[in-house]
Amino acid sequence: MSLVFWTTLVNYAAWYIFVFIAVTWLIVLFINRDEFSTIRRKRIKRFPTISVLIPAYNEEKNIKRIVKSIFRVNYPKNLLEVIVINDASTDRTREIVEAMEGVILLNNKKNRGKAHSLNRALKIAKGELIACVDADSVVEKNILMKMVGHFENPKVASVTPALKVLRPKNFIQRIQSAEYLLNIFLRKSLEMIDSIHVTPGVFSIYRKSVLKELGGFDENNLTEDMEIALRIHNAGYKIENRLDACSYTLCPSNLRSLFKQRLRWYRGALQNTVKYRHMIFNRKYGNLGMFLLPFNFISILAVITIFLILIWNVFDTVKTFIWQLYLIDWNLLVFIKNFEINWEVFFLNTFTTSFVFMVMGLILGGYLLMKSFHITKEKFSFNKLGYFTYLLAYPIIMMSFWLTAMMFEIFRIERKW
Amino acid sequence: MVAMTGKKQLNARILISAVIISALLFLSGIYVGYSINREKLSYIESTINKITSDIQNFQLEFLFLDVLGENATCPLLADTLSEINKESYDIGTRLTSYGKEGEIQDYNEYVKTKKEYSRLLIGYWLLANKLKTSCKLEANTIVYFFSKECVTCDDQGFILTYFKKDLGEKLLVFALDGDLDEPSIQVLKRHYNITSYPTLIVNGESYGRFLSKGELEDILGIGRIS
Repeated sequence: MSLVFWTTLVNYAAWYIFVFIAVTWLIVLFINRDEFSTIRRKRIKRFPTISVLIPAYNEEKNIKRIVKSIFRVNYPKNLLEVIVINDASTDRTREIVEAMEGVILLNNKKNRGKAHSLNRALKIAKGELIACVDADSVVEKNILMKMVGHFENPKVASVTPALKVLRPKNFIQRIQSAEYLLNIFLRKSLEMIDSIHVTPGVFSIYRKSVLKELGGFDENNLTEDMEIALRIHNAGYKIENRLDACSYTLCPSNLRSLFKQRLRWYRGALQNTVKYRHMIFNRKYGNLGMFLLPFNFISILAVITIFLILIWNVFDTVKTFIWQLYLIDWNLLVFIKNFEINWEVFFLNTFTTSFVFMVMGLILGGYLLMKSFHITKEKFSFNKLGYFTYLLAYPIIMMSFWLTAMMFEIFRIERKW
Repeated sequence: MVAMTGKKQLNARILISAVIISALLFLSGIYVGYSINREKLSYIESTINKITSDIQNFQLEFLFLDVLGENATCPLLADTLSEINKESYDIGTRLTSYGKEGEIQDYNEYVKTKKEYSRLLIGYWLLANKLKTSCKLEANTIVYFFSKECVTCDDQGFILTYFKKDLGEKLLVFALDGDLDEPSIQVLKRHYNITSYPTLIVNGESYGRFLSKGELEDILGIGRIS
């Protein structure tokens, strides 16, 4: 069979997977449409004690803001303790925390990483519930009142909030902001199929007894917040999400730091999927094993395939255009005059069925994105042009990050934070 | 590792209905693509039918030559010729690009259309030759034989398109697929002893190789075209 045949086949397969995943989310959205519009409040019968853990490494700019934000939270003060773990910061983090009242400070002698800091605090934490929050974040006032009620169910080991970007300013941050909103919607959908696979370190709350039972956080992991979530599922517990409990985090403002962050996340995701491969296509692990874990990756491969084929087509066309210009002695004027023919050749060669799917993909993706804005009650902060730029730019940027992460993992380039 | 306290939730119904619904969506996507392709081909076919009737008309007009004489008939013929010429080249380009697509669902239909188009071109070429002698028509004719396996044919085709666009009705190009199992093409191939591709018959003279823009300009005896 020819190359064209195989490319077409792979292209079709990729599109099918893409459509399948979008349709699955739409079905989940449709079945649970009431849950998205009216949030079921969980009554707190008994207020449990809570320890808020804040690991901090060189956070002199942010540490005050997060501690103040925690102290403002609406919850009985005698049931709440705040523990800051200073991971051998070289800036003024330590002095700033020491000057604050009512904060327990742990100082690491050497820089040991986030998971180690959390585990260390876990040993002295008095709370029945453990909330982990990064220093570069803030939380809303009623976050605990909204989230704690979910722990009335003894099967629930962790509850995640709705995570938003703190004050997005430039294009890179706005792209992430839209992505986070989409993730809020997806995470709630994931809860509905009992498959939340990441408990982000921006005020996810855990039941301490379960954390202890599982042996705390994995200190040799790039994304300990995904690892712990998978371990919780592996042990048969539930992870829930509270749609209207908002926490906010700073996000990278340039491509370079975004790239660094995502490389860590995506390599961590690959690492953990390999670690928990026994769950993949295992009925025992329900939707998580049968759908989320495998398709999380297959979907990324599908998107990469679709875009590589698209980019290859565009590249091929540009190459042909340049070659044709050479054939007619670089006579640009005539070339432009003949452009209608060239364009038609390009259009007929490249698209038709792929084009139909692309339109379908844009509609499905656009609908889910719009729904996310609606559900998170965020204003549609893009103009129409920005919106389409997002739909196009986001997959290209993230795809290249994923591709790099996969390369790094395959060639086993040393993992570091 | 801690033992599992229970089975995880599995919504097989959601997943299965997603598989089915997405399959339906996917198939309808393919169907739309297929319909667009059919539409393209039927558009080409209808244009071919129109040209066929134009050519028949042309043949009829040709008979006027004997009765009415050259002075009265030649302007009439020249008009019709340029009309056919414009359309036949457009349709050729479309047919070629459609063939390149690699998504042809109805291959037999495509080959049938191509054969029909080739016969049309040959008939058209014969008439143009007659017109050149009878009406002293000042037009260059190029019969261009190409093949799917030939590497430089795409480039040759592009250069010919370029000349065609520039010279208009002063140049008549007849592009024939040498691989096609069509008797009239085979006759021409034997007559001009064609063994390799691309081969161009420029005003009756055979060139069995790729002709660049400069070479073609020299052969046609025209200045640099722009």
